[in-house]
Amino acid sequence: MSDVARTTEAAAGTSSLSATTQAMARTAPRGRRSGRPMIDRYKWYEIVLLYAGMAVFLFFVLAPFIEGFLVSLKPLSQLFSTPYNFIPQNGSFDAYFTMWQSVPMLALYIFNSFFISTVVTLIVIAVVVPAAYAFARFQFGGSGILLGGFLAVNMFSGAVLLIPLFRLMRTMGLLNTYWAMIVPGAAFLIPSSIWLLRTYMMRIPRELDEAAWVDGASRLYTLRRVVLPLAMPGIVVVAIMTFIGAYAQQFIFALTFNSRSEFMPLPIGLFAFFGKQEVIWNELMAASFIGILPVMIVIVFLQRYLVAGLTAGAVKQ
Amino acid sequence: MAELSLKRVEKSFNEAHIIKGIDLEVSEGEFVVFVGPSGCGKSTLLRMIAGLEEVSAGEIEIGGRIVNDLPPVQRGIAMVFQSYALYPHMTVYENIAFPLRVERLPQAEVDKRVDAAAKVLQLESRLQQRPGTLSGGQRQRVAIGRAIVRQPRIFLFDEPLSNLDAALRSEMRIELMELHKRLGSTMIYVTHDQVEAMTMADKIVVLDAGTISQIGSPLQLYHKPDNLFVAGFIGSPKMDFINGTVSSADGTTAVVDLGELGTISLPRQSKAIAGQTVTIGIRPEHLNLDRREGEFTLSVTPNIVEQLGIHTVTYSTLPGGENFIGLFEGDPSVPEGQKLDISFALDQVHLFDQAGLAVY
Repeated sequence: MSDVARTTEAAAGTSSLSATTQAMARTAPRGRRSGRPMIDRYKWYEIVLLYAGMAVFLFFVLAPFIEGFLVSLKPLSQLFSTPYNFIPQNGSFDAYFTMWQSVPMLALYIFNSFFISTVVTLIVIAVVVPAAYAFARFQFGGSGILLGGFLAVNMFSGAVLLIPLFRLMRTMGLLNTYWAMIVPGAAFLIPSSIWLLRTYMMRIPRELDEAAWVDGASRLYTLRRVVLPLAMPGIVVVAIMTFIGAYAQQFIFALTFNSRSEFMPLPIGLFAFFGKQEVIWNELMAASFIGILPVMIVIVFLQRYLVAGLTAGAVKQ
Repeated sequence: MAELSLKRVEKSFNEAHIIKGIDLEVSEGEFVVFVGPSGCGKSTLLRMIAGLEEVSAGEIEIGGRIVNDLPPVQRGIAMVFQSYALYPHMTVYENIAFPLRVERLPQAEVDKRVDAAAKVLQLESRLQQRPGTLSGGQRQRVAIGRAIVRQPRIFLFDEPLSNLDAALRSEMRIELMELHKRLGSTMIYVTHDQVEAMTMADKIVVLDAGTISQIGSPLQLYHKPDNLFVAGFIGSPKMDFINGTVSSADGTTAVVDLGELGTISLPRQSKAIAGQTVTIGIRPEHLNLDRREGEFTLSVTPNIVEQLGIHTVTYSTLPGGENFIGLFEGDPSVPEGQKLDISFALDQVHLFDQAGLAVY
C-alpha cells in the first residue's frame, strides 16, 4: 500500500511541474539516488536480462550484415578456404573499386533502383494524401467497403498476381519500360499507406477543420494550410515505408516484366556478378552495401521531419 | 429589428430528434446565454446558428436575411470553440490572422487588425509564440482574438471556459464581460454552468431536451421560474422541493398537505389545482434558523453540515424522502445529528402543479 502511494508520488513529482513543493521535497532524496521514477527502476539482474535479450535479438538481425561486410573485405580466394575464417586476413576495400570494372553498368542499376523507388514514392504520396484525408473526414457510401477492399488486396502478394499482371502489362504495352516496375510497385503500396495515413489524420482534431471552415477557408485551403502541416510526420512515415517497400519489392516485378538491362534495378543487376565459372562474392557484397546507401541517405534526410508532438496545444485534451 | 431570429428551428439526426422547434429573438448587442444540462441540444443549436450543422426544419435569420443555406463565413458570425481549436503549427500572430489570410487582405491591414486584437486581449508579447507554449487562459484569448479580427455581427461561444480551472474561469468571465461592453456586439454563449449564465447574461435561454424551458433575465429566472426544471436548474445550491397534495383551493388560498410536515396555506388564485399532487419549492438561502412568527416551520435533522465561513450549508432528509438543503449566513452553531427548527416566509414559496408548471 505505502509502496504504491510512494510510486505515484514519485511519478507525479518528476512528470508534472505543478506538484506541490512538499511532495517534491519528500521525493527528492529518492529522485537524486536513481534519477528515475520507481516504475522505471530495475534490479541488477533484470538489467542484465534486458541487455542479454537485446543482444540475442540484435545478433539475429545484424549477423547477415556483419558477415556480408566481412566477405566484402576478403579476397575471393579466402572465401573458399578451409577451415573458414570469419575475420578477414589482410582484408582490403579492393572489391569496392574493382566491382565497377567487373560490372560496368552497376552505377546505372543503382540509379534505376533509386529512380524507380523515388517515382513510386511520389506517386503513392500524391494519391494517398487526398485519399486518406477523404477517408478520415468524409462520410460517404461505400467508404467502409473500400477500406476493407484495400486490406483484402494487401493479403495477396504481388507474386500471386504475376501472371495476370504480365498479361495486363503486355496488353498495355508497358513491358520492358520503367513503368512495368513503377506501376505495380505503386499499386501494391497504396492500400496500406491509405490505412496508415487515415489513422494519423483521424487524430488531428476535427475542430481545426471546423474552425477553418467558420473562418471562411475552403476544403482545399484547410487541407493545404492546416491538415497537411500537421500530418507531416505521418506523411513522412508513409514516404519512408513506401520507399523501402518499393526498393524491396522491385526485384520480382523487374525479374518478370523487364528484360532490358538498361532499366534493371540493382537486385537484378547483381546477377551480373554471377559469372560463367564463378560468383564474385566479395564484389557482390560490396555492391549490395553501396546499393543500400541511397536508401540510408533518403531515410536520414526524411527523419528530420519526424517531429513528434507537433499537434501539442491544438486543443485541450 | 432582431439581429438573430430563429423560427420553429428543428434538428434531427436520422431518427433522433435533437432540437424540437425553437423560436427565439435576439436583439443587437445582447449577451444571450444558452444553458442546460448536457445533451439538451444547446451546442447543436449554436452549431446550427454557426452553419456547422444543417437545419432540418424552420428558419434562421441573421440581420434580416435567411441564412439556412449560407456557409458560416457569409453569415457574419465568428465562433470560439470549447477546445480552442488553435493551429499548433502557426504562431499566435498567424492564428489570429488566419481569417484575414483566407480573405487575402493586404499585409498592412492584417497587421493593423491583429495588433488591435492583441492589444485588447493583452497578447502583444506572445504574438511570435506557438500555442503549445501558452497557458489555458492565453490560448482561450488567442481563440477569441481570431474571432475578433473578423469583426463579426455575432460572436458564438461554445462552452469557452469549461477547460479552465476555477480561478481562471472567473477571471476570464470578467474579461469576456468587459470585452462585450467594449465591442458592443451580439454574443451567444453556451454553457452548462448556471453560475456563468447568471453572472454574464442579459438574457438566459434555458434548454431542456431540445425545447426552450424558459427565456428571461437572470433575476426573472431566479425569482419566477416557469417550471420545475428551471427552478431546479437555476440557483446554487438547488432549490428544495417538497411533495404534497392540494387539499383545498378556493381561488384565494391553496392549502397543501405536506404529510408529516403538516399543511401550508399559500396565496394562489388557481382553483384548478384542487386535489392535485403538487410540489412546493423553497430556495435554501430563503430559510431561517429560528422559529418565526407567521412563517412555516419544519424541523429536520442535518446529516452533514458544511462550514464555509461566509455560509453554513446543512444537508438533511425529509420524512417523505426528499433531500433538504439549508443555506445560512455566517457560522451559526448547527451540530450534525441534532434536530433543529427551520422556517421560511410564505411569499418565498414556489408552487408547481401536477405537470410541473409554476402556479402564481
